[in-house]
Amino acid sequence: MSKSKSQSALIPHLLRRAGFGATPDELACYQSIGYDKTVDQLLKPEKIDNDKLEDLIKAQNFDFTRLEDLKRWWLYRMCFTKRPLEEKLTLFWHGHFATSNKKVNNPYAMYLQNLAFRKDGMSNFGDLLLTVSKGPAMIVWLDNQQNKKGKPNENYAREIMELFSLGIGNYTEEDIKQGARAFTGWETRNSTFFFNAGQHDSGDKRFLGETGNLNGDDIVRIVSQQPAASKFIANKLIAFFVSDAPNPDMSDDLAKVFMKHDGNMKVVLKALFTHKDFMSDRAYHAKIKSPAELVVGTIKTMQVQNLDGDLTSTMSRMGQSLFEPPNVKGWDGGRAWISTNTMMERFNFETRVTQQKFDAIEGYISPSEMVAQQKLTNARSMVEYFLNLLVDSDVPDSAKQELVRYVSADISGKPLNAIPDDKLLDAKLRGVVHLIMTLPTYQLA
Amino acid sequence: MSLTRRDFLKAGLGAVSLSLGAPHFLALAAQAANFDPRVAGKSKILVVIQLAGGNDGMNTVVPYGFGEYYRARPTIGVAQKDVLPLSNMIGLHPSMTGINDLYKQGKVGVILGAGYPKPNRSHFRSIEIWQTGDPERIIETGWLGRYLDLSASHTCGSDYPLPAVNVESSLPKTLSAERVVVPSVANIYDFKFATDQHYQQDRKFQLEVFNNIYAKFDMERPDVDMLRRVGMDSIEAADYLLKVVQNYKGTANYGDSGFGKGMKFIAQMITAGVKSQVYNISLGGFDTHAGQARVQANLLKQLSEGISGLQKDLEDHHLDEDVIIMTFSEFGRRVAENGGHGTDHGTAAPMLLIGSKLRGGIYGEYPSLSNLDSGDLKYTVDFRTVYSTILDRWLAADSRQILGANYENIRFV
Repeated sequence: MSKSKSQSALIPHLLRRAGFGATPDELACYQSIGYDKTVDQLLKPEKIDNDKLEDLIKAQNFDFTRLEDLKRWWLYRMCFTKRPLEEKLTLFWHGHFATSNKKVNNPYAMYLQNLAFRKDGMSNFGDLLLTVSKGPAMIVWLDNQQNKKGKPNENYAREIMELFSLGIGNYTEEDIKQGARAFTGWETRNSTFFFNAGQHDSGDKRFLGETGNLNGDDIVRIVSQQPAASKFIANKLIAFFVSDAPNPDMSDDLAKVFMKHDGNMKVVLKALFTHKDFMSDRAYHAKIKSPAELVVGTIKTMQVQNLDGDLTSTMSRMGQSLFEPPNVKGWDGGRAWISTNTMMERFNFETRVTQQKFDAIEGYISPSEMVAQQKLTNARSMVEYFLNLLVDSDVPDSAKQELVRYVSADISGKPLNAIPDDKLLDAKLRGVVHLIMTLPTYQLA
Repeated sequence: MSLTRRDFLKAGLGAVSLSLGAPHFLALAAQAANFDPRVAGKSKILVVIQLAGGNDGMNTVVPYGFGEYYRARPTIGVAQKDVLPLSNMIGLHPSMTGINDLYKQGKVGVILGAGYPKPNRSHFRSIEIWQTGDPERIIETGWLGRYLDLSASHTCGSDYPLPAVNVESSLPKTLSAERVVVPSVANIYDFKFATDQHYQQDRKFQLEVFNNIYAKFDMERPDVDMLRRVGMDSIEAADYLLKVVQNYKGTANYGDSGFGKGMKFIAQMITAGVKSQVYNISLGGFDTHAGQARVQANLLKQLSEGISGLQKDLEDHHLDEDVIIMTFSEFGRRVAENGGHGTDHGTAAPMLLIGSKLRGGIYGEYPSLSNLDSGDLKYTVDFRTVYSTILDRWLAADSRQILGANYENIRFV
């Protein structure tokens, strides 16, 4: 395969990973500029006009002090943004910093944290880490509000290293104790950062080899510059964007870029999306879709316009409740998304999206219209069209045959011997789209 | 000793293919057809309750007879007058009235100071240690997953279509196995394959097409195989479990919590004759770094109500002699309270065992409150001895093969 042809076939793969998939129109647009220019565009969200989304959002009148509104706001962004990587990266950081409103109990603070992920998510890692550390959500989440001079609370010092920057084994319990002292006095009042000087321990501390009257800013600076941080973040990015299996070579490459460019995320992400391993066969259809990717991807691919209905609760039942990650490690992802329970949730979401009613009067998808637009007239070509659209045709032949058999039968399964009328055809198309979405390869990104 | 896949195969599992084909369906369908309520005296059952977050053991089994306890916990220490005494030195948190009643009936074993050498205070690594039974190496299978694999090999797999049931949305490593697929069912009523209700006849045909496609969906890719297995198992398990719940009759009270509902679902499955030996459930929220008193009191109340509800339900159905319930957590918490009226991650903590066939009582020594390991309790009982006892003396399994070494048994059963 020539380089340019294989690159163009990789664009759907890129969009599934760097975003949440694409509508047929978006896909055509990216195909026309080619892979490399698509990567560049994804990495320059500030140059893309997102007014249409912002207007749509204003019209919804979300109340950011209510969790349900906050979740729906984010779902709108994921479905209708013109800056897919910016949004996907926000989800990455949300999982990475894994702060849950269940404990923070302040949706507005969670909103502010989400804005920080979006605004600083592509800047330098150390800058993002500092912004997040000073955010009201994080201060409450990891108990820094209770971290006081003389009676330190170690939670933040431990987790900033274990979970956010270095990983286990790259610091000692003593570093935790000293780091805790450096963060004393970092509090929040009225959802803003407040430095309580009276509670701050300004004695000398020794942390990861550096000594002095270190405060929280110093801790963030020191951890961000550790070689361990470059590896840790590289591995997290690979796990989220590339593959569920670790990739030590790619990890080394990305870590080097991270160290060389002071943790500049744009540069690191460019290296990731243009890395040969990202574009290899092994990375193709190699990640299990998170609930967000499944739900948003389905909405985009089938061009659902209206987001009525309890989509955010559906995602929660699939194991991903936005703003409420299950524990400080975020979501394990990969195979952890899949259990008999969550699989059934996925199948049933797919039913709701494909059937005629979904919390509103009209249907959500229009498979009959799509088929008419493509001028498809027989069962086989219709099945092939949806297989290509939904799973890149990545199924065994036996599956295709069986789906053709399904479409070529009446509602009870008896083979048709006449062309179905519009009503029956519509029902069969909805059924076949549902069936395709229950296939193993539809679960893969 | 590391348990490798090769070891499993050597242990007599034989060259069984990892993908599931038609015979698996038939077994499940047969089980569904022959709906068959449980008769007492059949194989033993273990109900595992994971207390997620690191439950503070010292405020669960309270050493009220020791002065150091109150000195270390001036604001969150449980007052002596509130403790439910088990002896004149230790007692239960006041929320645990149901468990206390069971203790008086001789049905509760309290294992003090359970832990392991070189304790890990990270949630993730420590819970993994408890779930896999290995403090030294990171392995992929759980101690009960390995038990299920070994057990399935001796009974030709297909007799146990639901070898264990996980009453949670996601499967914990405890039940992660090489061969056996453990279904996770958090809520039975949402757990069925739905199609457009306008076309009732379409559902049967779609299921037929689904099954036909899945039966041949072999692409020789591990993720695809796993998705395929889970997809097929979900459909079969759903039909069967719905029948189970519809046939349940019981009056035991489980309290109002989600945890209580989950414990009731376990009772429904046991009484219906679901042939599972292990049920897993968890109760979360125990990571009490601040404001511990109220949070833990509420959680321990849910725990106590759920456990006493299940025990009563089993007794009502005359099945209590077949079941043991076990609680564990990834670690206990520090001896001294912190500046936020809470506690930070610690080490050893008690385990509770409940069942009619237990030799009730207190096992082990309360860890010293003065001779500490940097502010943390030193463990007195290796948790693997509890596991080995359950494996050897309750589940009639070979604990040496599953845990990788011989561990002493404790005589609680």
